Amino acid sequence: MRWLQSISNRLRSLFRRDTVEQEIGSELHFHIERQVEENILAGMNPQEARRAASREFGGVEQVKEECRDTRRANYLENLLKDVRYGFRMLRKSPSFTFFAVAVLALGIAANSAIFSIADAILVRPLPYRDANRLVMIWEDSSAYGFPKDTPAPGNFSDWKSRNQVFEDVAAISDGSFNLTGSGNPENLIGKWATANLFSVLGVSPALGRDFRPEDDVPGAPAVALLSHGLWLRRFGGDPRIVGKEILLNNEKCTVIGVMKRGAQFPDRETDLWVPSRFTTAQLANRRNHFLEVVARLKPRVSLGTANANLATIASQLEKENPDSNAKVGAFAVPLREELAGDVRPAIFMLLGAVCFVLLIACANVANLLLSRATGRRREMAMRIALGATRARVIQQMLTESILLSIFAGVAGLLFSIWGTKFLATLIPTGIAAMTGTGVDGRVLLFTLAISLATGIVFGIIPASRVSQFQLAHSLKQGGGRSGVGSGGHRLRDALVISEVALAIVLLTGAALMIRSLENLYHLDPGFRADHVLVMRTPLPRQKYEAFAARAAFYEQVLERVEGLPGVVAAGYTTWVPLTNAGGATGITIEGKPEPAPADVLVPNIRIISRDYTRALRMKLMEGRLFESRDAAGTLPVALINQTMARNYWTGEDPAGKRFKVGGYSEKSPWLTVIGVVGDVHQAGLAVPARAEMYLPYQQEDLGFEPEYLAVRTAGDPMALGEIVRQQIWAVDKEQPVAGMMPLEDLVDENLASRKMQASLLSGFAGLALLLVTLGIYAVLSFAVTQRTQEIGVRVALGAQPGDVLRMIFSQGFRLFLMGAALGLAAAFVLSRALVHLLFGVSAYDPASFAGVTILLAAVALLACYVPARRATRVDPLIALRYE
Amino acid sequence: MSKPTDLVQGTLDLLILKTIALEPMHGWAIAQRIRRVSNNVLQVNQGALYPALHRLEQQAWIQAKWGESENNRRAKYYSLTKAGQKYLRAEETNWERLSSAIGLVLKTV
Repeated sequence: MRWLQSISNRLRSLFRRDTVEQEIGSELHFHIERQVEENILAGMNPQEARRAASREFGGVEQVKEECRDTRRANYLENLLKDVRYGFRMLRKSPSFTFFAVAVLALGIAANSAIFSIADAILVRPLPYRDANRLVMIWEDSSAYGFPKDTPAPGNFSDWKSRNQVFEDVAAISDGSFNLTGSGNPENLIGKWATANLFSVLGVSPALGRDFRPEDDVPGAPAVALLSHGLWLRRFGGDPRIVGKEILLNNEKCTVIGVMKRGAQFPDRETDLWVPSRFTTAQLANRRNHFLEVVARLKPRVSLGTANANLATIASQLEKENPDSNAKVGAFAVPLREELAGDVRPAIFMLLGAVCFVLLIACANVANLLLSRATGRRREMAMRIALGATRARVIQQMLTESILLSIFAGVAGLLFSIWGTKFLATLIPTGIAAMTGTGVDGRVLLFTLAISLATGIVFGIIPASRVSQFQLAHSLKQGGGRSGVGSGGHRLRDALVISEVALAIVLLTGAALMIRSLENLYHLDPGFRADHVLVMRTPLPRQKYEAFAARAAFYEQVLERVEGLPGVVAAGYTTWVPLTNAGGATGITIEGKPEPAPADVLVPNIRIISRDYTRALRMKLMEGRLFESRDAAGTLPVALINQTMARNYWTGEDPAGKRFKVGGYSEKSPWLTVIGVVGDVHQAGLAVPARAEMYLPYQQEDLGFEPEYLAVRTAGDPMALGEIVRQQIWAVDKEQPVAGMMPLEDLVDENLASRKMQASLLSGFAGLALLLVTLGIYAVLSFAVTQRTQEIGVRVALGAQPGDVLRMIFSQGFRLFLMGAALGLAAAFVLSRALVHLLFGVSAYDPASFAGVTILLAAVALLACYVPARRATRVDPLIALRYE
Repeated sequence: MSKPTDLVQGTLDLLILKTIALEPMHGWAIAQRIRRVSNNVLQVNQGALYPALHRLEQQAWIQAKWGESENNRRAKYYSLTKAGQKYLRAEETNWERLSSAIGLVLKTV
């Protein structure tokens, strides 16, 4: 209780200064008056009595001042004093201050920038009610090569009706909506959604109403909910949009509402939502896997419980529907994790990296402070001699270092605001629109916290060392040179060693990432992305119901485009590489027994036009590509990729072999293999190819629509964009052309986040390298200054410049070797964390480890060289006179 | 600290605490009482007394209250806090140990 009272007294003295001042005055006044009375009682006359009393009391003002002083001895006042003093000290050595602040600011900026990204991805709330209870449910078809498959409607319905763990389950599926009527025809990215989608998500429209169950039955009038973005972009934010009709895929559709900004399920590309209006038959379909399913967990149900329940239901379904559900499991993933996707490990890696950078910066500044501290020993010794306690001296030194780190924090924050914009590409599109990016309160708080922590971390060591000075010893010693004693040496050495170790870890990580990226760039994806223009022309179902109508469209468009000057080849396909990982169907190989449902072969299927393989420069390994003779009504043919040839016809020549889509009983025709093409990486450059077949679009209607047009050009592909679009509109003036871009952009996009990760990590490693160089240099040049006298003696006794050089080099290099050994060991342990981010390189890649060590060794030698050279130039005469 | 009657800080604190242990007192009375009880040997200087009082108050060994004095004026009365009472007991013990030790040395040497 005493301390509480004491604090309240102190606060009172600080903040009620006037009252306290007045009280001191009246207290002393009373004393004097009382003495006057006493003197009068003793027989003096009043004048005499007053004079005597005053004389006895002495200087009233001095007493007042002393009272004030005792009251003022106050942490807060001390702090203010220290801050003022700290400012003065920092101003007195502007180059030190600038360097320290710059080094720390870089470290802090890196931290708060990466933190703000991590915050957006991992922490910032999603715009949904109780978003931590939202999960996505996937099918586990690992047995068929799809460990995370989009569920079939039949399974979705059963999960929804049988589970005991979800409040509700909703589903969406990809839709392509051609908006016509007013303005240019536009292809919108929409989602077919079950009516309960937004109630599951827990978000309601900003305008109008949500879907109702009666909107979501077959034959119900068509309605649509617009995304906030589409509403602004296409409808100018018209507040009276609700109730208006728009033309979607040539069907009149009533706008019933506009979604809240940010509520962009499943990602920011989504333009609108339309009720699925599934028929009972569609809802029983277990063959086509095309839904994305989101569910809300009941309160207090854990993810584990939910997954157990889903597994039970999946095994029931497996027994009930052996044809379709053999070896098909189900599992839930928290929405947040789903949206953050595969960026999570990279974010944790980067957080680790920036933390290392900051530690190195701290070690560097701590080292600088230590050398400064030697210079300030006399000052500190004086303070201690004059009665300052150790704690007081430490407080003052820490105030200075925290001042430094707060400056650095402010500078760092400014850097990071600029940096976050540049880093925003790291945030997956699914989450970016929802949580937004940039600096918010949490980032500010984080920056403040690490700034303070930084100040304490790098300040505490020098501060505690200074306060340990032997008083007499320090005061006796001259002010200029000499060290902090051998303990100080060891401390500085330890700091440099840990800097080297941290830098080795960072550099190794960066080297591994760069090698992975290099591997990816040099990887043959099975196609040439340069000089290829791609676009989508999804044909509306109503208009192109007939197979012949579609075929005619493709034929006319291709004929016109191929005829354009500057076009080398043009082809249609269901999906160009990197746009769809799946698109697969079960097949039967002629002559092999009908497989059990669980053993059906499910290769990827791509429906293409004759010259698609030529437009992409895919490699022909065997046989021939499609030709004009592979037309409707001729022998049904297929191209297969190498993986399919290897896995399905192991040890045989696939040419001329036959297979068909579906089982033996299926009416589909037998397809003859006419050629083998090289594997194309469809699912991502780093993802190995699956078995894949290519069928000509004219021969069979399998329900897969070619909608991507790929055009190989002689020159810049984008230069032909408008001309190609005009040719398509010449065939059908209402046909939207969407997503026009060079195929190279898709490749870049696919590598973008890896590229960003690698370049960030390299940037941080580079920064670390720079800081370590400075660190080694600073320690050695300080050592040379300290040993000037010793070196002088050695030279006087006949030491050659080579000897001196060797001596200094060995001192520096010893530090490097110890740090390197430590760092390599740490890197060996930590690089395991990178495994998921690497491609085609082992986490223990000897070349990376060796390269990094050699690089750092070279830099360390350079950092040693300058001080060592200075040491050889020591003039023994001057050196010995020194001091 | 040249005059023998000047009081070393710690000693003055002890005297003040002991003096107000009986009843709340204002500064003037504390000085008077110490002088009287010590038969005019210990003269407490105002310049030392008031800072000491304020320091003890700041440290919450004693507390102050404004009250009516014997001559009907407002005066600042000091009294011991609970912690102050404990502190006084501890300091008294210390002082006795110290003075008897000094006494022993003076007698025997």
